Formats: sequence, structure tokens, C-alpha cells
Amino acid sequence: MKKWKLAMMMLLIFTLSFALIGCGGDDDESGNGSDEEKILIFGRGGDSVTLDPAKATDGESLKVTANLYENLVTYGEEDTSINPQLATEWEVSEDGLLFTFKLREGVKFHDGTDFNAEAVVTNFNLWASDLESYYYYNSQYGDGNNGTIIEEVKAIDDYTVEFKLTRSQATFLQNMAMDSFGIASPAAIEKYGEDFKKNPVGTGPFKFEEWKEEERIVIVKNEDYWKEGYPKLDKVIFKPIADNQARLNALFTGDIDLMDGISYTDIAQVTSKSEFQMFERKSNTIGYLGLTNTREPLDNKLVRQALNHAVNKQEIADAFYGGYAVPAINPMPPLINGYHEGVEDYAFDVEKAKSLLAEAGYGDGFEMELWAMPVPRPYMPDGRKVAQLLQKQFEEIGVTAEIVSYEWGTYLDKAKAGEADAFLLGWTGDNGDADNFLYTLLGKDNIGSNNYAYYGNEEVNDLLVQAQTETDTAEREKLYMEAQEIIKDDAPWIPLVHAKPSVAGKENIINYIPHMTGNESLEKVDFK
Amino acid sequence: MSQVAENQSPLQPSSQHDEVVSPWLDAWRKFRKNKLALFGAITVIFFIILGILSPWIAPQGINDQNMANTLQAPSSSHLLGTDDFGRDVLSRIIHGARISLWVGFLSVVGSIVMGCLLGILAGYYGRWVDTIISRLFDIMLAFPSILLAITIVAVLGPSLQNALIAIAIINVPNFGRLIRSKVLSVKQEEYIMAAKAIGMKDSRLLMKHILPNSISPIIVQGTLSIGTAIIEAAALGFLGLGAQPPQPEWGQMLAESKAYITTAPWTMIFPGLAIMLTVLGFNLMGDGLRDALDPKMKH
Repeated sequence: MKKWKLAMMMLLIFTLSFALIGCGGDDDESGNGSDEEKILIFGRGGDSVTLDPAKATDGESLKVTANLYENLVTYGEEDTSINPQLATEWEVSEDGLLFTFKLREGVKFHDGTDFNAEAVVTNFNLWASDLESYYYYNSQYGDGNNGTIIEEVKAIDDYTVEFKLTRSQATFLQNMAMDSFGIASPAAIEKYGEDFKKNPVGTGPFKFEEWKEEERIVIVKNEDYWKEGYPKLDKVIFKPIADNQARLNALFTGDIDLMDGISYTDIAQVTSKSEFQMFERKSNTIGYLGLTNTREPLDNKLVRQALNHAVNKQEIADAFYGGYAVPAINPMPPLINGYHEGVEDYAFDVEKAKSLLAEAGYGDGFEMELWAMPVPRPYMPDGRKVAQLLQKQFEEIGVTAEIVSYEWGTYLDKAKAGEADAFLLGWTGDNGDADNFLYTLLGKDNIGSNNYAYYGNEEVNDLLVQAQTETDTAEREKLYMEAQEIIKDDAPWIPLVHAKPSVAGKENIINYIPHMTGNESLEKVDFK
Repeated sequence: MSQVAENQSPLQPSSQHDEVVSPWLDAWRKFRKNKLALFGAITVIFFIILGILSPWIAPQGINDQNMANTLQAPSSSHLLGTDDFGRDVLSRIIHGARISLWVGFLSVVGSIVMGCLLGILAGYYGRWVDTIISRLFDIMLAFPSILLAITIVAVLGPSLQNALIAIAIINVPNFGRLIRSKVLSVKQEEYIMAAKAIGMKDSRLLMKHILPNSISPIIVQGTLSIGTAIIEAAALGFLGLGAQPPQPEWGQMLAESKAYITTAPWTMIFPGLAIMLTVLGFNLMGDGLRDALDPKMKH
């Protein structure tokens, strides 16, 4: 009887251990097989909402469509310069009201229909027909009165399109390159109607294959892609994993090959392992401490300058961004056209700060509130910690800051109403243009909107408005540089850091360059 | 330490023939025999001493940042390691004892004062006064208490003081109900009738006779509630609604270090342990007090 029990026990143990060994074997299959299909699994924080880029307003949707669609023009691989894509060349009339594009010939949509001038006209007319649904078309090309500044899109011949504008817009091409304005197959739009968002058809390097909601989106190589030799991968699978830590674990166990949205505090774990690497995404953000210019004693320029001198920005970048951030000097990141390299930052100098305070009549310091956002933002993962560091640094010059947080919605409302003394906030650029940072955040016209600091310098506002209609690039940049110089002197903020929301991936991935807009085509990505 | 009563066999109950034992002394004797309760009391006293002496015994200040020395593992120079600002975790926990105990104690005193007032009124006067007050308690108890606390703090604005007020308010019904039921039974006693008969004023009757005779369950409930209040304060701190940085409130320390759970676990473990030990201490002590003060549990 006893022997029989023992035998059963042994049998059970054997069966169990074999079953477990079997489980372990599957892991090696994902990714990297060199002879077989090259499959890349991209882990991300959320699923797409739609695969119709023109209707998408979230980054997760555009991350996929950037591989399915192409625009007339596109951004540079590492910056927001304008480069040809579906258009090979273009001309602008003297008054900036007429754009003529020459289109690439021989390009086909994934459904086999031809890409031509008629297709471009159809897309633009569709977007103009429903400004409410096509959010970005309205925000970038709308005239603010339920119309658009694009008066007419005309097919001159099969491969020439002409855009007639009602008024000149300096950022016309810059906007055109946004992922939202990918050209879709008119035949497919007609065929699928409402269901088009789940059956995307473009001209991009990858074709849509399958979308299982909240589980995966699969896109496969477009064999007829017009760019010879691309894409390198056979298949890309986008897999949503909501929790940052769980996604990181999935990367470590080999379930996914790439992940975005890594917590800055986890970067050290990736860089310490030789099988993994970080891909740096260039910054398109600014995190800053606004100094509400209308509140005492921050209405005194000397006080604002003194506070600028008191802050050690490098310390913030190192402590809370894992080094994946650069200290900010101007109110916009360095890769934006018109960024002023020559502006000198207020040096970290406690003595200088104290003497400026004394000069302003606050030799004994003062008390103020220091607002910290309660939620992680792309430009600042932990506002309350940055606030503690700033609090300590201000203490050195005799300024007592009390840290205050409100629920996020309340926080924004109150700051917008000018109720904060000093407040942490930031911005992520939409179209990579200086206007989207400087005018939006610091133009006097935007007080009560995004100009939370109540910075009301008329001269700066005039320069920024002038730049909006200036079509000569060099002239335009000059206006922005002039504005940045004045802004630096006025010190409406303490610009803190430009965060780099980077991507972690396996060591054998090559040619992956995360783009500063947050979305990129994976056509060149390959495995070693 | 040793008394005659201690080494007696359980089969032979203590007789105490000639000695007159007051109820309080009797309770103390019972309490002292309860090992767990004694352990709880010692833990609580330990943290109270820690809190009182914190400015003198903490090796460092609460906000002595040292960015060159962040997230250091426990070592001889930092017994419990350092956090992401390079601050000494041990020092912050010691200072945090003062905050947590202060919040726990004061909020419970607040609850008791408000609860007793309302409970006595409801129990003694009865009728519509009772109806209004009791329904008010029912309404408050219908909410999950932490949700009610969050709402109160959201209205008042997040700060340690407002968290304290919120915690005091949400615990009022517990004390109110308790004292109301006690008053209901006490007011039937003959001595109360006698006092009424000789024309004693309501206010004097309430303060001199009813309150003192209803108070013992409040002491037990109060002790247990301090533990709960500390947890509630920590929960509010964790949500960013209680103590504001850089105050070293334990719940807030937990929230601040949760990003380092895998890389620097000591920043989380020790504040968590501090909360656990304190609350455990109060609970064990409260249980012991309940057993000791219950006159039905004679040996």
C-alpha cells in the first residue's frame, strides 16, 4: 500500500515537471528569427481608437496609421523639416496663396487603385465637408468661423494638385506633414463608409491585416511599396499593455520587442542589461515653472530673474528623468525651427539670485505658493517631486514656497484664472512649429487660454502675430529669435527641462529612430 | 512586578477577600496579564516617545536633501537607506511618528467630543432630537468612510489639517451611536431618577452622572479608532490629499517611493512597517482594554 502511494507520487512529479518544461520552450519564437518571417512586436500603453488618421486625436491611433498612410510632404527623420513624400516637389506663389504640388507617379494604394491628383482632391474635400469629425483639419486649417483657409483643391492634371488659400499661412506645409493628413484610397472610403476606420487603406510601407480590440493590431509588409527595398520587416504587431511595469516585464521576458511609455525611474534597469537598449526620442516638449506675472511679488521682473538664478535644472533632469531630459533655456525645444541658440540662460547662482532679490526690495525673501500637478505628464513624470526640489532650491535664497496640489481639472482651471503664484506645467508640440509654442503659451492674446503665466508683453505679441503670416522662412525665424530674447529677459517662466519620452527595446533592433512627434514609420527598422 | 494574584492556578479563582479593589485597579491587573495587549501598549509607547523626542533623536532633518546620495541602500551611515532626494529614511520615519500619532490622537479626540455631544443629546432627550441626530449618523455611515473623507478634503483643500478634520468627521457616528445607546440604558438607572427627583439641572446631570458612567466603551473604541485614523491619514497622504511634501507623513512617503519598489524597496518597506506596527499596537492595546474594562468578564 505504501509503495503504491510512493509510485503515484513520483508519477505526479514527473508529469508536472514535463508539463512545466513544455511551457518554457515557447518563448524563443518571438521576434528575431533571421531566416523566417521578421516580426516585430511593439508594446504600448493603450489600443488605437480609430485607424482613420484624419479622425484620430490620440497618439496611439496615429502610431499605427503612420505606417499605413503617407502624406504629400513629411517631416525629416530626426526633426520637423519638410521633405517630399507623395509629392515630389512643390511651388508657392509670391503672395503665399497658391501651392502647387507635383505628385509621385506609379504609386498604388493597398487595394490596387492608383494614387493620383483626384485622390488628393477627394480626401481634402471629405475633410472640409465635416469639420466637427475631422478635428485636426479644423484646428490646423480652420479659419475659426466654421470655414477653412483652403478655399479650393484642384486637380490640374493626373499628377498635379493646386491648393488655393483664402489667406497665407506660414505653417501650411508644416501642418500638411502631420500624421493626421495621410491620403486614403477614395475607393476604400466609399466601399467601407462608416467602417473605414477599421479597414484602413493607404499607400504606406505596411498593409493592414487584423485588429482585435484591446488585444492586437497586425500590419504586414506592403510588397508593392514604391520605395525600393522597404520595408525591412514582414510583420508588425501592436500590443496594448496598460501598466508601465507590466509592459517592461513583457519586454524582459521576450513577449514584446519594443515598448514605449517607460517610466523614467525604470530606465536604469534597461541600460544595465546588455540584451536591451534605449532609443532616444528627441524632445518635443517643455516643462516649466510659470511665474504668474500679475501677482505680487512675481510682477517684479527682478524677482522672476532671481528665481531663475536659484534653480539647478541639471539636478532635476538627472533626478527625475533618468538623464533623459535636457535643461531648457528657451520656451521651446531646440529642434524647432527658429530656436535661438544664442540666448544665454540664467546661470545657477545663489549669490546673484540673492542680490537681485535685495535689489527688488525682498532682501529678506518672501512667501509664495508653489503648485505641483497631481498627475504624471509626458513633459513631467512627477510634478510633486520636482516641486520639492525647487522648494529646497528657493529656500537657499530665502524664498519660502508652500507646495500645493489640486485635482488635475481644478488645477488647470485655477491656474488659467491666474490664482497660482508659481505653478508647474508643460506643453507637447502639435506640429513642430515655433508658433505652437511661443504664441500659444506666451502670446498676450492667449491670456485666459494657454498663457497661464499672464505674460502680457505687447511687443512680443506683435512679433509673434507678425510671424504667423510671414512666409519667408528666414524672416520668420528672425522674428521668433527676437521674441525669445525679450522673453528671456522678462523671465515670465523658469523653463525647466525638455523631456525625451524614450523607447526601450531589444538589443538586436536596428535603424529605429523614434520621431519627436511621437509617431514614426517603421519602414527602415530591422533585426540584426 | 510580581503580585500574589499572578501565580495562582486558573482553577483557583482569586478571592480578594479583605482587599477592596476599585474597578480601575481591577482593569489594570487584567490588562497586565494580557501579553498581547502589553506588547501593543509597549509598541504604542515606543512610537509616542519616538514622536515626542523626534527633533532630538533623528540623525537628520526631514528635508536635508543630498542629490549626490540618492536611493542608497541601508548602511551604517543611513540605517534605513536614503530616498530619491538623498534624505535619510530613518530620520523621516522618526519625524513621521509625530505627524501620524498627532493626527491619529487629535482626530479621535475631535470625533469623541463631537460624537459624545450629539450622542448624549440624542440619547437623553430622545424624540425628534434623537430622530434627527440618528438619521444624520445613518446617512454618514451609508458612505464608505474613506470616500467621505476624500470628499471633505476635496472641498476644504488638501492639507494635513484638513485631512485631520475629515478623519474626525467621518468617525463621529461611531462614537455618537455608542454613547447614545449607553446613555439610553444609564438614564433608566435609579440614581439618575433620584437626581432628577431632587431637581438637578439637566446640564449638571449630564456632565456629573450620565457622561462619567457612559464613558468606558468610549475609551476602548477611542484606542481602536486611533489605529484606524492613522491608516486613514496615511491613505489620504498616499492619495496626495493629506500632508503636503516635504512633510514626512508615512502614507505620503509610501506614495513617493512607489516608483522604486523594485529598485530601492527600503524606501517603501520601512514607512509601511511603521504604519503597520503602530496600527497593530493600537489594535492589540484596544482589544486588551476592552477585555479589561468589561465588567462581565470577571475571572
